[in-house]
Amino acid sequence: MTRPRDDFLSAHETPRILRLGPNLHAACFALMKLLPARFMLDRAEEDGRLAPGGHIVETSSGTFGLALALLAAVRGYGLTLVTASSLVDAAFVRRLEQLGARLLVVEDRAGSGAQAERLARLRALLAEQPEAFWPRQYDNPDNALSYARLAELALGALGRIDCLVGGVGSGGSLCGTARVLRCLFPALRVVAVDTHRSCLFGHRPGPRLLRGLGNSILPANLEHGLVDELHWVGALPAFAATRRLYRSQGLYRGPSSGAAWLVADWWARHNPGASVLVILPDEGHRYRDSLYDDAWLAGLKGWPPAEPPEPVALGRVRPGGEGDWTFLEWGGRSLSAVPGAWRRHRRRPGADQAG
Amino acid sequence: MPSPNDAIAGTSRPPLAVGTGTAMAHHGELLQGVFEGADGRLHRGLVTLPLPSLRARATFWPRRLGAIATRPARRSKAARAAALALAHLGFSGHGGELTLESEIPLGHGYGSSTADVIATLRAVAAAAGTSLRRATTARLAAAAEGASDAIAYGTQAVLFAQREGRMLELLGAELPPLVVVSLVSGQERAVDTLALAPARYDSGEIEFFRALRGLLRCAVERQDPWLLGRVATASARIGQRHLPKPRFEHALGLAREHGTCGLQVSHSGSLMGILLDGRGQDVAAQAAALVHEARRAGFGRAASFALGAEGVRLA
Repeated sequence: MTRPRDDFLSAHETPRILRLGPNLHAACFALMKLLPARFMLDRAEEDGRLAPGGHIVETSSGTFGLALALLAAVRGYGLTLVTASSLVDAAFVRRLEQLGARLLVVEDRAGSGAQAERLARLRALLAEQPEAFWPRQYDNPDNALSYARLAELALGALGRIDCLVGGVGSGGSLCGTARVLRCLFPALRVVAVDTHRSCLFGHRPGPRLLRGLGNSILPANLEHGLVDELHWVGALPAFAATRRLYRSQGLYRGPSSGAAWLVADWWARHNPGASVLVILPDEGHRYRDSLYDDAWLAGLKGWPPAEPPEPVALGRVRPGGEGDWTFLEWGGRSLSAVPGAWRRHRRRPGADQAG
Repeated sequence: MPSPNDAIAGTSRPPLAVGTGTAMAHHGELLQGVFEGADGRLHRGLVTLPLPSLRARATFWPRRLGAIATRPARRSKAARAAALALAHLGFSGHGGELTLESEIPLGHGYGSSTADVIATLRAVAAAAGTSLRRATTARLAAAAEGASDAIAYGTQAVLFAQREGRMLELLGAELPPLVVVSLVSGQERAVDTLALAPARYDSGEIEFFRALRGLLRCAVERQDPWLLGRVATASARIGQRHLPKPRFEHALGLAREHGTCGLQVSHSGSLMGILLDGRGQDVAAQAAALVHEARRAGFGRAASFALGAEGVRLA
């Protein structure tokens, strides 16, 4: 195995391990998705799924697309990203296009993310270019596998880890890290952070204000059986936490980092004897004109949210609004075993995972 | 390769004299797998658990000409090591007699063969009035044997590429203080370790080794036998998938019931070691109780040894 000469990119994907409290540490990334993206491309290059000068296609509106664009530019691949009009702004589109990526923007007036339409466009692309490589971050097991590197760094710095807190979008970072840590510390508590109207843990999917976590489809990389405790954080408490994280720790992060830190900080304060690690995926520059703009926040319905934020304990899955923060003892159950959970595939009993 | 003696212009080389060298045994591995090197490639590597109380001793009587004869006869790896050391030190073509005496049992994974080889390298160096660097010792040992354990580094914690005979990572300190209760797994016959096919790890295992390496670094930095025990146990479990040892689960059960740090194994032998915290107040008594119980449970050769556990007097 020969590694391509782009180790300079590893600085973006290597987290700093920061102490944020007496028993709370953060794995703080510049661009977390570069870690799985680089690993997936390495593996695809090794086994010939991606030939030199080949083409990559993916549906992404976020940092995974950015990571692919960086890699494609450095390694000399073509890249087509399918995205939705509701999910990208002009600055981000420019940032991707300057790296040579081609963007196909699907119209999405409803603001739902247009997952089904994006997948249809992607399949059409693959029909035209059958040799193109589709990384499939939601279902590619290499995504989760790549996070052993995060575990390596965290274990090297912290030794014993009792609790892992992280947001879930593809499931790769939280489940990939948790699986490794639990092999070494079987009593590890895994706390997942999702948001309302994401279907990952049983909400009916719908428009969401909070970006960077949650999903409208179920990725295979999400292993519900690994999760002990599940938090649904609405956009308002997440934005407020992101701003508080900036003020109190000097960390200018994206809202998924804020949501994860909100939960981790609360959990660590309630379990002072436990060593807690929280994953903070990326930086806040994309959100300069939204959650880092007071005027923008003031225009949100329900802003500012109640302080201090406290979660409401649930006994079953219940829908929530953007101002709510709820949690449920998940207990390693499958989605079908949790009362109140919405599932797309009710007509196919037992099918928890949309391929 | 230029020899050190050639490099010192104008010095006349003193003749070879009789030299002796010793090397310690080991008790298998604390960690074994594949690991990324500085070159970005994967290398087979291990962390050896040294067993300092068992030693091999080599004595080298040099002769100006001729082959290298060994006593006992036909110790070809040690003879090869002597020739490599002579060549490295600028005495190509010299021969001699090499006597090997060892307390280390053959087979089972105590590293008897590597100890012979490393004692020989040290004996030849002593015969030349010098000593070898540890990196040179390890490299020549691997060249003589095809593979080598990390005992050239003694009780220093190193991640070592056994087939290349070089260090992948210096962990920067000694191993944490341990008391080890040694068990010989069911198969009591010796194992030809070099004849074994190397394990083929899957991608999940290869990535998992990264995490084990991370925890190992922390265990050594903090001198924490409990973290080290987690690394060893997880590594032993992976080893069990590739070269299963009889009674592994039984040994693991003993390790667990007695609240120990964990279990290590000799990945290509039949040794298993229950790891105890060498700093513990009553660690000698705990080890004695474990040895007693293990013998009753059918591990007839159970015994204990200490590694860096100061002041611990084992029965």
